[in-house]
Amino acid sequence: MDEEELRHSPLEAEHASRGARMGPFAGWLMPIEYAGALKEHEAVRARVGVFDLTHLGKVDVIGPGALGMLQRVVTNDLSKAAEGEALYSLVLNEGGGVIEDLIVYRLEDQRYFVVPNAANSQRVLQILEETPSEERLHLMYHQDWCFLAVQGPQSVRVAAEIFPDAENLAFMRCVETEYHRRPVILTRSGYTGEVGFELFTYQDIAADLWGALLETAAPIGGMACGLAARDVLRLEMGYPLYGQDLFESVTALEAGLSWAVSFDKGDFRGREALLKQKELGLPSRLRGLLMDDRRRIPRAHYPVMRGDGIIGEVTSGTFSPLLQKGIALAYLRPGGVAEIGEKVEVDVRGRRGGATVVRPPFVDRSPR
Amino acid sequence: MRARVRKEKTVEFPDELRYTKEHEWAFDEGKGRVRVGITDYAQDALGDVVYVDLPEIGTPVQADQPFGEVESTKSVSDVFSPLSGTVVERNPLLEEHPELVNEQPYADGWLVIIEPSEPEALKSLLDASTYRAFLDAQA
Repeated sequence: MDEEELRHSPLEAEHASRGARMGPFAGWLMPIEYAGALKEHEAVRARVGVFDLTHLGKVDVIGPGALGMLQRVVTNDLSKAAEGEALYSLVLNEGGGVIEDLIVYRLEDQRYFVVPNAANSQRVLQILEETPSEERLHLMYHQDWCFLAVQGPQSVRVAAEIFPDAENLAFMRCVETEYHRRPVILTRSGYTGEVGFELFTYQDIAADLWGALLETAAPIGGMACGLAARDVLRLEMGYPLYGQDLFESVTALEAGLSWAVSFDKGDFRGREALLKQKELGLPSRLRGLLMDDRRRIPRAHYPVMRGDGIIGEVTSGTFSPLLQKGIALAYLRPGGVAEIGEKVEVDVRGRRGGATVVRPPFVDRSPR
Repeated sequence: MRARVRKEKTVEFPDELRYTKEHEWAFDEGKGRVRVGITDYAQDALGDVVYVDLPEIGTPVQADQPFGEVESTKSVSDVFSPLSGTVVERNPLLEEHPELVNEQPYADGWLVIIEPSEPEALKSLLDASTYRAFLDAQA
């Protein structure tokens, strides 16, 4: 993709002034790193980091038909979400393959705020537009909104300084608040494994808010963080990334996301296929791989071996700064080898590195 | 190495070194020893280095052929030998402190010392101003 075709964050000037290295991500030119991925990772794990995630999708589904239509589109049971609660969910194709993972926030009785990934948001919006509904609903796209995240053990302190509501907000809860008298959606959620907040607001005040968050975070050792650090943080938690670990040729069950699938709630896209696959058995399963030492770092598409046989493929891999070892997510074939605790090898550019099959998270952290 | 240097940051290329288009540097220490590392541009483009894979002492290396790998948080890159010869030393600090490649690419972040089979070949590598011009042309 040419740089001209990339979409730009309204905060680009802020990023440039902080010396960010910008790079293409999911069709956007976004900050990849500022001080460096390792320093930023350390800030989030030990203190606090502030992210610009404006590339993610943002759409309100509003009206009496909102719940009924969304229930047919996503895998989780949204009727279980009370006002002010959020649920992680998937959108599947009819074969049960993953089109998207997203979070749905129930802001009001008949208002759901949906945040899909950037790469796929057009596809999700199309599904939201085309799925039939008996009752009235409308979609409100927030292309003029920014999305910021504050993540880390000190994030409550930073967020509460600006938004008093943050103090008592529980995990996966959301609240509508304000900044400079503009609406802000504040949520207790994130993608790092740390306590954290995500904030959605209009771009005309986003630069102010971004500056205020960093100003509050700086005296306690917080800093601006880019997508490179975010990728390491999410991988240490074993969170799959759409386009990397989730794609249409694997099902929700293969990806280990059955906890986000409610078979009891009625029909939804991909339900029949998943039930059938449950009966027949899974052709592969997403697992964590913990490398024996730091010498071999697994990367996407490296084969996973058992003896001379290929038993799977790495979809995401990196070096874990906390563990000082390589970690990876990989789809492994069943039949004894994909079991937790099994020893396997990763073919790292022709050289074997020993690894143990584990159940993520790789690190002992919790966002709750 | 395709990543770009951030615009605000200045990268340095000492005049006393020789350079390759693959972004390695070579320094003639005399007595048939040439110290080799990656340039400031290369370390900046790679991002945080987390592991450096270097050949054993005694390993023969070929000019323009990969002899090692540098792993960063983002990716892995081959390191190409500026000269043909034999590895006679490898930086013992990098095992524990790979970040030295970022922090001091021309000093404690060096990679190996090579005993070149054709010492004259060093003169055909790029000098600092030619390397700078090469980078400018790429930008």
